[in-house]
Amino acid sequence: MSDLKPTKGPVPSAPRVGTADVTPPDSTVLRAGTLSWLLPSRSALAAALLLPAVAVLIALAVMASSTGMSLSETVSGLLGTGDPGTVMIVRDFRLPRVFAGLMVGAALGIAGCLTQTLAGNRLATPDLVGVNDGATAAVVAAAAGSTTGMVGDWWLGPIGAVVAAAIVVLCAGGAGGAGYRVLVTGIGVSTFIGAVGDLIMSRENDNTAGGVFLWAVGSLNGRDWSVGTPLALVLLFLVPLALAVGHRLQLLRFDDDVAASLGVDLRRLRAGALALAVALAGTAVGVGGPIAFVALAAPILAQRLAGPTRVPITGSALTGAALIAAADALGRVAAPVELPVGVVTSVLGGPFLLWVLFRPDRATGKA
Amino acid sequence: MTDAPHRTAPGLEVNALHAGYPGRPVVRNVDLTVPAGQVVAIVGPNGCGKSTLLRSVARLHRPESGTVRVGGEDIWALSRRRAAHRVALLPQSPRAPEAVTVAGLVRYGRHPQQGLLRQWSKEDENAVRDALDATGTTELAGERLDRLSGGQRQRCWLAMVLAQHTPVILLDEPTSALDLGHAVEVLELVREVAAAGRTVVMVQHDLAAAARYADLLVAMKDGEVVARGEPSGTVDEALVKELYGLEADILSAPGDASPVVVPRIRRPV
Repeated sequence: MSDLKPTKGPVPSAPRVGTADVTPPDSTVLRAGTLSWLLPSRSALAAALLLPAVAVLIALAVMASSTGMSLSETVSGLLGTGDPGTVMIVRDFRLPRVFAGLMVGAALGIAGCLTQTLAGNRLATPDLVGVNDGATAAVVAAAAGSTTGMVGDWWLGPIGAVVAAAIVVLCAGGAGGAGYRVLVTGIGVSTFIGAVGDLIMSRENDNTAGGVFLWAVGSLNGRDWSVGTPLALVLLFLVPLALAVGHRLQLLRFDDDVAASLGVDLRRLRAGALALAVALAGTAVGVGGPIAFVALAAPILAQRLAGPTRVPITGSALTGAALIAAADALGRVAAPVELPVGVVTSVLGGPFLLWVLFRPDRATGKA
Repeated sequence: MTDAPHRTAPGLEVNALHAGYPGRPVVRNVDLTVPAGQVVAIVGPNGCGKSTLLRSVARLHRPESGTVRVGGEDIWALSRRRAAHRVALLPQSPRAPEAVTVAGLVRYGRHPQQGLLRQWSKEDENAVRDALDATGTTELAGERLDRLSGGQRQRCWLAMVLAQHTPVILLDEPTSALDLGHAVEVLELVREVAAAGRTVVMVQHDLAAAARYADLLVAMKDGEVVARGEPSGTVDEALVKELYGLEADILSAPGDASPVVVPRIRRPV
């Protein structure tokens, strides 16, 4: 068989003749010793455009109010140079609410990005695995049980979400398998949990029901630093984990055998990403209520900005934050009475969903 | 026989491997030792356990008992990632990420070597470039994979597997979807890969191609190895009858005397 020996082979020591440009496109390579990084310039550009947009939205959101406040008043309030009343309104009421909104948006955006990538479907959101209904049921039950009937602590949200998601995963027979089964089970389980929440609410007096209702459409009203600080700490812990997972999530776009033979432990990756998505979305719901459509829309918009080959974790966070800031500001100026942020996102989200459904993705050609 | 000058340790050692699904053994007591730099072809009828064997070697399907060693290391004692440094697999009809380019696909072959602090090293770059060169896909680097022909696509997938820089490469029916010209191209590429010191195990349906391009032929039936050896001495009428229940004539190719299987016509046409 010696005549079958090739005349030319890829001998490792031979001089390299490769000429192809194989560096990832739109990327800058940074190397130091054995370390190397890729800076995605397209994503960086998108972020560079989004950050000022978010900053402008922050200013607008702080300004926006049914009682009216001029730009100079707002700035002097922010800087602490205005009259004490203005300073107090801006710093103690509006600014913490805006920051809570930004963090809620970022958490929802990342959670949506993780779920969509896990399911391989652009319409998959964390509420499909029972996050919203679990968090809502927990918050409603606590409000009903309390003597004041007030909506209680934000941390009930993530706890309720995690419990609901755990029930879903158990019923589906594990998170490591196909994402599809988890989602279908989630629809059934969350309907049931939602019914339990409705049942509790129907037995309450109008006062409690009214307060819970406002929360249950998604509202940032009255959110201050007592919520913002723990929320920031939670995100400080979860977001780096999500970024670390994002790199590996790209591999889910192969079939399982290829991904596994490229060194990915699929069970661990899927379970970890799902747990992160549930924790992030549950925290967001606990703070802002089940705000609709941000988890759906932010990753889709971020994907368009980042290009089809990446899993846009950072972009989804920024887009989600911008969406919430914009919706909250809009809700405060668009109508004679303040609209809860969840109502605004629902109104804007409906047409967006139709746009997503009827406009096929250029890259994938499917909805 | 192609000899393996690079290493003395066997590239791949499979010992007393049993694998399957609950209540359904698929691979039974398979032993296989392949020196580095050789090509093994596994042949046999559909459902004989070839693919399950390949998946067990690739650390995708946990065997019930037995060991798989690469360069002396038990592949099932390693983490998923470390195993991916030693064994690469090209499944039968792999699915690529949508809209991926050829270079993009081949870059994924470097994933086992990458991490948060090592995202795109010089080695990664060289490995991808070499893999594109070796498979003749350098000119296609910027093209989208889904716009290429089947033969070109298969070469790109091979490039991805090569870029992984593993001592053992597993190919599940690498030529079954290709026309004759492209099939030969891929098989010649497989020889070149082995000549560079890597061990290749491929599942092959085409007995003649298996005989011609492999150093060792392993025939499986019902999960067991029924014949093994140097191809020209192994492929005969009895083997074809045993594997496929076919009466066949075995001819000798004029060029290199490798066996050519010609099934006898059972019903006159």
